[in-house]
Amino acid sequence: MISIRNLSKTFNKDIHAVKNVDLEIDEGEVVVIVGPSGSGKSTVLRCINRLEVPTEGSIVVDNVELTDPTCDIDKIRAEVGMVFQQFNLFPHLTVMENICLAQRKVRGKSKSEANEMAMKQLLRVGIPDKADSYPRQLSGGQQQRVAIARSLSMEPKIMLFDEPTSALDPEMVKEVLDVMLELASEGMTMAVVTHEMGFAKAAGDRLVFMDEGMIVEIGPPSQVFENPNEQRTRDFFDKILY
Amino acid sequence: MSEQQDDRKPKDKKNLSDKPPWWDTFPWWGIAILAILLWMGYQIVTKDSYDLAWERVIPGIRITITATLQAFAIALALGLLAGMGQLSKNVLSRNLARTYVEFIRGIPILPLIFTVALVLLPQIQDALGFKLSFQMRATVTLAFIYGAYMAEIFRGGIQSIAIGQVEAGRSLGLSRRQTMNSIVLPQAMRAIIPPLGNDFIAILKDTSLLSVLGVLEITQRARQFSASTFKFREGYFVLAFIYLVLTLGLSLLLGVLERRMTRDDKNVRSNRGID
Repeated sequence: MISIRNLSKTFNKDIHAVKNVDLEIDEGEVVVIVGPSGSGKSTVLRCINRLEVPTEGSIVVDNVELTDPTCDIDKIRAEVGMVFQQFNLFPHLTVMENICLAQRKVRGKSKSEANEMAMKQLLRVGIPDKADSYPRQLSGGQQQRVAIARSLSMEPKIMLFDEPTSALDPEMVKEVLDVMLELASEGMTMAVVTHEMGFAKAAGDRLVFMDEGMIVEIGPPSQVFENPNEQRTRDFFDKILY
Repeated sequence: MSEQQDDRKPKDKKNLSDKPPWWDTFPWWGIAILAILLWMGYQIVTKDSYDLAWERVIPGIRITITATLQAFAIALALGLLAGMGQLSKNVLSRNLARTYVEFIRGIPILPLIFTVALVLLPQIQDALGFKLSFQMRATVTLAFIYGAYMAEIFRGGIQSIAIGQVEAGRSLGLSRRQTMNSIVLPQAMRAIIPPLGNDFIAILKDTSLLSVLGVLEITQRARQFSASTFKFREGYFVLAFIYLVLTLGLSLLLGVLERRMTRDDKNVRSNRGID
C-alpha cells in the first residue's frame, strides 16, 4: 500500500530530518512509529501525503509515485486521511460543515449524501449529538474525534495519525485511542506516530523505532519493547517506561 | 484589632472587584464630540454668513461620496489582487505585487496624485485612445494608492491564519484555491474587515485631495467660497463640520459591525489559543 524507499528530507540545506528511510506498509497493516522528539518520525508521516516534499528517494502510495511532479496530489490526498496533533478543525464551520466540506468539494457529493456520511462517522466516533456545535464548544478529545470523523468521511484507504493524543488532557486520551483501536480492528491501513506505548502494543502490527532521522529497529511491538536488538532502542524505552 | 479587620474586609472586596466605576468607562469623548457638533450645527443654522457657506459647499458632497465609493471599490479589487499576489507561488506575480506595494507606499499621496493623474494617466490615455475626466483620474489614483495599503491588510490577514488550517484542507484533498476560498479567506476576513473600515474612512478624507485637480468636491467648493468672499472662517468651518459628520457617522457604523463580528469571534480566538 505504501512503499517508502531511500527517503531523505533536508530542511534549510543542512538539517537532515530524515536519512535514507525504507519502509513498506501493507494493506490493513497498523504501523506505529516511535522515537525521541526530532527523530524525524513526523516528517516521514508528512511525506506520505506530501505535506513535506522529499529531498531524495521515492514514495509510492496506492501505486502512485508521489515524487513525480505530474501526479495529481489532491487525488491521492483524498485517499489518505490525516489526523493532526492540534486537531486543525475549521473554527468557522460547525462539526457537520467540517465533515461535509471536502466530501462535497472533492467528492462532489450532494448535501444529503454528505450529511448522511457525516452522521455515520459521527456515530462511529460516538458524538452524533455534536453535529451542530462549533469546534470551540467541544473538549479536546471530542475535537480530535471530529477530526477523525472528518478524515473517515472521505473513505480513505490509508489513515495517518501525527501524535493524535499529545495535545489532549490525560483524561481524554483514551476516548481517542478507543476510536483508533476500533479502526485498526476493522482493517484500516494506518501509520501512527505516538508516544502511547499501550496503543502500540494493543493495535500495532509492527513498531518502528526512529532516532536521528533513521530507522533503528523494526519489529513486532512486544519484541521491540521487551527484547530490543539495539542499545539505542533499549535506552529510549528505559527512559520512557516505568 | 479584630474590629479593624472587619471594617476593612468589605473595602478590600470592593477593591478586588475588577469592575471600574461608571465614570471611568463612560464615553465622555462622545459627549464632547456631540457637543462640538451641536454647537457647529447651531452656528450654521442661525448665522446667515454660515448659511451661505453651507449652500455653496454642500452640493459637492455628491462628488465626495461617489469618489469615495468608486475609489474604495477599485482599491478593494487591487488590494486583494496584490495581497494574494504577494503570497503567490509564482515568482513574477509575487515580485510584481511587491514592487507595486513598495513603490506606492514610499511616496506621499499628494505628489502621487500629481504624477499619476497629470503625467502617467494622460500618457496611458493617449496610448490607448480613451479619455478620463479629472475627477475619474484622481479617483483612480486614490484607488491605486489605497490598493497598495489594502494589499498589506489582505496579506497580513491571510498570513494570520495558522498553517495547520491549510494543511488540514489540503490533506483532505482540497486544492489550493478551494482551501483559500473555503477555509483561509472566511477566517481571514475577521482580521481584514476592521482595518479595511479604517481605510474607507481614510479614503473619504483623502478625497479632499481631489481639490488640487480642481474637482468640485466639498473641499474645492469651500476653497472657492472662501477665496471669493474672504469668509475663510465660515467656509472651512462648514467644511470641517461636513467631514466630521460623515466620518463620525461612518466610524459609528463600523463600530457596530466590528462589535458584532468580535461577538462571535471571541470563542474562535480562544480556540486558537489551544491550537
